[in-house]
Amino acid sequence: MPILDEKTKTEVKKILSPMQDVVTLKLFTQPFECGYCKDTHLLLDELAELNPKLKIEVNQFDTDIDEVSKHRIDKIPAIAIVGSKDYGIRFYGIPAGYEFSSLLNAILMVSTGIVKLAEETKAWLSKLDKPVHLQVFVTPTCPYCPPAVILAHALAYYSDKVSADMVEISEFPHLANKYSVQGVPRTVINESFYQEGAAPEAMLVAKIKESL
Amino acid sequence: MFDFNLSFSAVVNADELYDLIIIGGGPAGLTAGLYASRYKLKTLLLEKAIVSGGQLTSTEWVENYPGFPEPILGQKLAKDMETQAKSFGLEIAVETVTAVNLVPNIKEVITEINTFRAKTVLIATGSSSRKLGIDGELDYVGRGVSYCATCDGPFYPDKVVAVAGGGNSAFEESLFLAKYATKVIILHRGSTFKADPIIKERVFAHPKIEVRTDVQINSIQFNDESDRHLQISDSKTNEKQKLNVDGLFVFVGSIPNTELFSGQIELENGYIVTDRTHQCSVSGVWAAGDVQAKALRQVATAVGDGACAAYWIHKYIEDFDHARTT
Repeated sequence: MPILDEKTKTEVKKILSPMQDVVTLKLFTQPFECGYCKDTHLLLDELAELNPKLKIEVNQFDTDIDEVSKHRIDKIPAIAIVGSKDYGIRFYGIPAGYEFSSLLNAILMVSTGIVKLAEETKAWLSKLDKPVHLQVFVTPTCPYCPPAVILAHALAYYSDKVSADMVEISEFPHLANKYSVQGVPRTVINESFYQEGAAPEAMLVAKIKESL
Repeated sequence: MFDFNLSFSAVVNADELYDLIIIGGGPAGLTAGLYASRYKLKTLLLEKAIVSGGQLTSTEWVENYPGFPEPILGQKLAKDMETQAKSFGLEIAVETVTAVNLVPNIKEVITEINTFRAKTVLIATGSSSRKLGIDGELDYVGRGVSYCATCDGPFYPDKVVAVAGGGNSAFEESLFLAKYATKVIILHRGSTFKADPIIKERVFAHPKIEVRTDVQINSIQFNDESDRHLQISDSKTNEKQKLNVDGLFVFVGSIPNTELFSGQIELENGYIVTDRTHQCSVSGVWAAGDVQAKALRQVATAVGDGACAAYWIHKYIEDFDHARTT
């Protein structure tokens, strides 16, 4: 049974029509012990049919060790959104529900190069010299989560120093424990600093500065 | 079965002079956008979240919005309102408004990225959850304290949660939380409830929900994982008590989102004062929905406000354009 209905497909086609450069969705999957790998794979296959500039590359988490380590993938299902280079944009867990918008947003950003960030943020990112790892914890039913994910991905796109993960927390409950996540969205900065909620750009940037 | 939500920012032109800029994409803003688009007004709606619908998106079920005899999901109703408005040409841009200049004849609405100009502005910024204002509350947001049951309820399977409040939100969201938690304890500081009788009946009959009255929550102590608790007291006898819970959901009313506008338009307890056409104290500026000073804040009243405001805005634009061409 198809995972996307016809109406959604028509809308996705329209949304993806401004695509410019080819975007490769690198899926990391495994045939066993992965609740949502199969559905995520199906979703990406259906998505790739909707725009010729969208490519899929399937990697096996247990055997394609080089690709796994090159992209620093540590859990599955994982999707790396790769354009002319790897910007460090990741989705861990199925990007369903409201996160489907975050996925399409990341694809469009990488494909068109259009990134919505304030000038001050861009200036600061250009000078950033330390690595920043953002993990945005979400659930698919959380309407406040996509802005947090999209912001983190925009920072990753603009700066080579920043990598940003969406993490669908219900698929990785051990991480909810590890980072004491009891509410979403929650952005973890470099393992030790936290930002609650869908914080405005300036607030997240201030928090990242504090962590450095 | 998965659900896939598609919400996208329109590509906007900041050089355009808009007939109307709507700030906020909840039911009031979306309805005004629908009507304004049908009046063929050049309209832009600015919404800070990528998902339109405002507080509707954090409501599980809506069962008092006419036309839906079966309860409808808040998130679905919000999405449908957005789709309908867009089908008539409403542009929705995902940008956060940081400043406004409402007094001049041509208004300015400034976001993190653009400065937009418009002949009229409709403020539909709604309201946000009121905080309890007690020790520990802000420290534990996202780590045990929540203002959104549909967002954070699933974190409490087989746990005990407390709910602060005694109105419709507290009662309705308690029913949602009871699907996950083993026990939901409603703590209400008064002795009578503002919730509608039909919701009250359901809550009182629910085997997993306990309701306590005259309770003051004094502090939140969630640091020790093995002993997460609230310090509460009886507001009549002052008797103190420790209440072990894993989480606290707060539904104690709302505060209007009007900081951006104070000093430019007349407010009453933070809410925007309007006349019967929904116009504010400044010409060319309207308000609709929860942000307005009024008695009842519901989806049904918000859509009425939005439609009505759009009508008067359309009248105003006719006069405005006529004055400019003669």
